[in-house]
Amino acid sequence: MRYPRLLALFAKSSLLMELEYRTNFIAQAVLGAFWAGVTFFSVALFFTQTDALGGWTYEQALVIVALFTMIQGVIQLVLQPNVTKIIQMVREGTMDFVLTKPIDSQFLATLRYLRYSGLADMAAGLVIMVFAFNRMNYTPSSAAIAVFLVLLSASLVIVYSIWLLMATLSFWFVKVNNLTELFNSLFDTARFPVSTFNGLIRIALTFVLPVAFMTTVPAEAILGRPSAANVVTGLALAVVLFAFSAWFWRRAVLSYSSASS
Amino acid sequence: MWRKYVAFGRVAWALTVEYRAEILIWMMSSILMVIMLLVWLSISRDGAVNGFSSADFVTYFMVGWVVRNLTAVWSSWELDSAIREGRLSPLLLRPIHPIHNEIAANWVEKSLRLLIVIPVATAVMLITPNTSLVLTPLNALAFAASVAGAWVLCFMSDYLVGMLAFWTTQTSGFIQAFYGIRLVLSGMIAPLAMFPPAMQDVLQWLPFPYMLNFSVAIAMGRVQGQEMLLGFVVQLAWAAIVTIAVWLVWKRAIRSYSAVGA
Repeated sequence: MRYPRLLALFAKSSLLMELEYRTNFIAQAVLGAFWAGVTFFSVALFFTQTDALGGWTYEQALVIVALFTMIQGVIQLVLQPNVTKIIQMVREGTMDFVLTKPIDSQFLATLRYLRYSGLADMAAGLVIMVFAFNRMNYTPSSAAIAVFLVLLSASLVIVYSIWLLMATLSFWFVKVNNLTELFNSLFDTARFPVSTFNGLIRIALTFVLPVAFMTTVPAEAILGRPSAANVVTGLALAVVLFAFSAWFWRRAVLSYSSASS
Repeated sequence: MWRKYVAFGRVAWALTVEYRAEILIWMMSSILMVIMLLVWLSISRDGAVNGFSSADFVTYFMVGWVVRNLTAVWSSWELDSAIREGRLSPLLLRPIHPIHNEIAANWVEKSLRLLIVIPVATAVMLITPNTSLVLTPLNALAFAASVAGAWVLCFMSDYLVGMLAFWTTQTSGFIQAFYGIRLVLSGMIAPLAMFPPAMQDVLQWLPFPYMLNFSVAIAMGRVQGQEMLLGFVVQLAWAAIVTIAVWLVWKRAIRSYSAVGA
C-alpha cells in the first residue's frame, strides 16, 4: 500500500505547487482547450470536402480526435513534466537524489510531478467524444466500453513506455529534447485514422511508432467494432514495450555515474 | 545602418552555426505540413478536391513550406526572455533599437534554412508529374514581393506579441496561441480554398492569409489581375498597421519599463 499512498502524496504536492502559480495554471488550461479546438478544426476541415477519411465518417473520426486530445492531456499531465525533469536531473547530476530513495526509481522519476493543466485537454477530449456520440445517436454497449477501457490502458502504457525510453536515452545523450519534439510531431498523425495513410507510412505508424494502437484501435473498440487481431496485438505491444522500457531504465540506472565532481 | 546589420549578421551567423542542432527542431515543426499533405492526397486520389488535384496539393504544400521557412519568426521568445530576465536593460543602452539585431539574426538563420529547404522542395516538385507552378517573370516578381510583405507581417506581429512581456509573465501562452491561429488561418494546414466560403470571405480581410496562402496562390497562378492587386493592398495595409503598432507600443512600454533582476 506504500505506492498508492506515495502517489497520492505526489498528486497533493504537485497540486500545491500549481496553486502557487495560479495564473500560469489557468493560462495553460485555456491554451490546452484552444489547441483542442485547433485539432478539431484541422480534422473537421477535411469533411467539408469529403464524406470519409480512410473509411471513417466525420463522427467516427471525431472519436479519434477525442482520443488524441485526451492522450495529449495525459502527456501534458504526467509525461512531459516528469521526462523534462529527468533530462534536467541527469544533466545536473541531481538524479542521485532519486536513485538513493528507498523506492523504485522508475516509479519515482516518472510519476513524481503532475501538471494539472493537462486535465483541460482531457476534458476537451471528453466533450468532443460526447459530441460525436450525440451526432451519431450512439450509446456504446457495456461490452464495448470494457474492451475500450482495456485498449485505452494499453494505449497509455505504450505512450508511457515510449516516453520512458526517450527519457532513458538522456543518460547517454544530452540533447534528448529534440527527441521528445520528434515524438510530438509524429504523434500529430494520431489525430487521423491510421487507414488514411497508405503504404509504407501506414506500416511505420503501426509497427515503428505504433500510433495506430494509440488512437485508432481504442476508437474502433468504443465504436463497437474491435478486430480481435488488433486487440491482441495492442495488448502484446503494451506488455512488450513496457517490459523493454523498464529493463532499459534499470540498465541505464546501473551504469549511471553522477554528473557532478 | 548597413554596416551595423553586417556586424549583427556576423554574430548571428556564428551563433547559428554553433547551435546547428536546433535546425532539427524547426525541421520537425514542418512535419505537420507533411502530414496534412498526405491526408489531402488520400482524398484527392479519387479525383480533384475543390479544384485541387493531387499535383496541386503537392505544389501548394511545397511552395507553402518554402514560404513558411522564409517567414519563420521567433523574436517574441527572445524578447520575452530578455524582458523577464532583465537582459533587455543593457540592450536599451545601445544607440540602436534591439529590433535591428533580431532582424539581422532572422535573415541570417533564414539563409541557412534555405540551403536545405530549396533543394528538397525543388526535388519533390521535379519528381511529381504535372505540378502547377506558374513561373512567368511577372508572377515570380509578384511572388517575391508577396513573400517580402508576408515576412514584414509575420515578423512585426510576432514582435508585437512578444512585447506583451512588458505587462504579463504569461507571454509564452500568447505566443503559442498566436502561432496556433496563424497555423490554421494562414493556410499552413490547408489551402484556404478548402475552407467554407463564408470563412474565406471574412479571412480575406484579415492579415493571416497574407502570411502564406496569398504567396502560394500567386506562385500557382490562382490569384491574378485585380484580385492580386487587391490582395497586395490588404497585405500592405496590414503590414503598415502592425509595424506602426510595434513602434507605438514600444514607445509606451519603454517609458514604464523597469528591469527585473540584473
